[in-house]
Amino acid sequence: MKSLVKKLTKLSLALTVVGAFAHSTANAEPLEIGLLTPSPLADVGWSKALADGLDKVKAKHGDNVKINLVENIQEGPDAERIMNKMVGDGNKFLVLGSFGYMNGGLKLAKRNPNLSFVHASGYKVAKNFSPFTAKYFEGAYLMGMAAAELTKTKKLGVVSAFAIPELISTINGFTLGARSIDPEITVDVVWINSWFDPAKAQDSAKALIAGGSDVLFSNAQDTPSVVAVAEKAGVYVYNLNSSMKEYAPKKYLGVVKTDWAPFFMASVEAHMAGKFDGKNQWLGMKENTVVVEDWSSDISPDMMAKIKATEAAIASGEKHVYDGPIVNQEGKEVIPAGQRLEDGAILGMNWHVQGVNSPLPK
Amino acid sequence: MTTIEFFLAGTMSAATVFLLAALGELVAEKSGMLNLGVEGMMAVSAAVGFVVTYETGSHIVGFTVAGISGVLVSLIYAGVAITFLANQVATGLAVGILGLGLSALIGRQHESLTVEAAGGIYIPILSDIPLLGPAFFQHNIVVYLTLAIAVAIGYCLKHTRLGLAIRSVGENPNAAQALGYSVHLIRYGAVAFGGLLAGFAGAYASTIYTPLWADGMIAGRGWIAVALVVFGTWKTGRIILGAYLFGMVSLGELIAQSLGASIPSQLLSSMPYIVTIVVLAIISTNAARLKLHAPFALGESFDGSESK
Repeated sequence: MKSLVKKLTKLSLALTVVGAFAHSTANAEPLEIGLLTPSPLADVGWSKALADGLDKVKAKHGDNVKINLVENIQEGPDAERIMNKMVGDGNKFLVLGSFGYMNGGLKLAKRNPNLSFVHASGYKVAKNFSPFTAKYFEGAYLMGMAAAELTKTKKLGVVSAFAIPELISTINGFTLGARSIDPEITVDVVWINSWFDPAKAQDSAKALIAGGSDVLFSNAQDTPSVVAVAEKAGVYVYNLNSSMKEYAPKKYLGVVKTDWAPFFMASVEAHMAGKFDGKNQWLGMKENTVVVEDWSSDISPDMMAKIKATEAAIASGEKHVYDGPIVNQEGKEVIPAGQRLEDGAILGMNWHVQGVNSPLPK
Repeated sequence: MTTIEFFLAGTMSAATVFLLAALGELVAEKSGMLNLGVEGMMAVSAAVGFVVTYETGSHIVGFTVAGISGVLVSLIYAGVAITFLANQVATGLAVGILGLGLSALIGRQHESLTVEAAGGIYIPILSDIPLLGPAFFQHNIVVYLTLAIAVAIGYCLKHTRLGLAIRSVGENPNAAQALGYSVHLIRYGAVAFGGLLAGFAGAYASTIYTPLWADGMIAGRGWIAVALVVFGTWKTGRIILGAYLFGMVSLGELIAQSLGASIPSQLLSSMPYIVTIVVLAIISTNAARLKLHAPFALGESFDGSESK
């Protein structure tokens, strides 16, 4: 520091402005935070939700942090190369935005014990590597309640990416919520077996509407494909992660938003304090990660009150979406009344609850 | 709209993307140019078409500019593969990859935006017929124009002097040159025409079929178009059939699911490809006939000398 000051004094004789600038940055090296996302950073969607979370960290810590975004990186070997480069560039805290970055990220974490990593949707944990997932099903349950009031055909439709536990448990949550209001309601699901094919998503939405569904759920679709079709056809629709109300001003039921800011904030601050402790982070309403917003004004005040009460009960832990009795698609009771489904069973869910018409791809 | 109406209408709509691109590729291949860059050309045009339509609010302007952009991308391929005699397969693949990257760049500021889809036509009486009306007579004009283009291409290739010239260049460029045709000029023209139709296909995909832009939205449809040309054994009629069959199978999968059919959805998702393999296998049992239809000089560079 002394020599630096000396140098600066020398320099400042000639270059006062530059010297002053160098001095101010030398005071506090900002923590560089890198974010790697699987899709382009649009105005809406998954990647946007992650970036928004980091924006709030930046807003709080100002010049003490610097956010570096690398977007639209396909999962696979190339992602590993880019992660390596991000570390080489000086990022000390990495947010890995997709399941497929898991193994590459974990390797990197083991090689760089001083860095901290948070990783979306994965299941592997290390001392400096925390996987994080949202309990979407909590929000979907509330959406189900709203849908139950608004549907006339008593048929709800879901356009869904891949049949993985995270998405299955969300559909089940939606179904349970709807049937808690009206047990006659059934749910149709179309699996498009692709993370990304807006044309297929739109055709699926149209097929569901043609089949009689009058409330649609766009499950893990990063583009407003389904939302736009629903608005045009005049059926209600909701989606996950970030609000798409502008694409469906009349028929938007609401959004099951993920607010990653509280989790990112806590993790970044833990890292700064040298106390980052890698563990599985499964976050819901209690942690303010899952937030339901932009409710349609077509929902009656009575129902809205019911929904708000349920929301509070879920957030406090008094109620759980997977409280028994829960009956599966085949009509068998999975969990009796008075009991609660274990976390492991939800995290690995591979069955539908009663009320879902479509068979689960096996 | 009932499920059956949607099934028929959706088939026509989905098939149009495949058909436009496949027809362009057919003309290029008939002249001996195997252009594997269709996916990239479609992606660029989809992005350009969307951006222009979004900014101007005019689908016609969007389509026009998209067509031009398709031609420009195809000319990159043509320049390298025709003038500089580079390997057609490698060049096509390279242009395809370039196009995908370029499309992401062009659409950068418009990611996940939507436009109003161009409306369908309305024909008095016909459009009002129950079932058939909504299924067949309420589409966007592009759907019908595509069929008209298909018929025109079929006729042109078979019955006109221009068609004969294109085919002769694809069958035997040396002979064509001896007859006084400019092999390079005809091949440039055929490739550019392919680019134009791929451009329209891209614009149709991003402004009418799925009126939104998202990077990667072509999602392999360009490759299906290339496969359709082989599937249709370089014959227009069969390519039309193939495109509609593909549209039907890919849509049928989604409808079967929405109706709760108890068939594994992964199997359904792979149906278009299974159907391709089966049909190709059936067609290929008569190898001689397949050979008869494939342009003899397909994929071969032509340097103007007759040494071959």
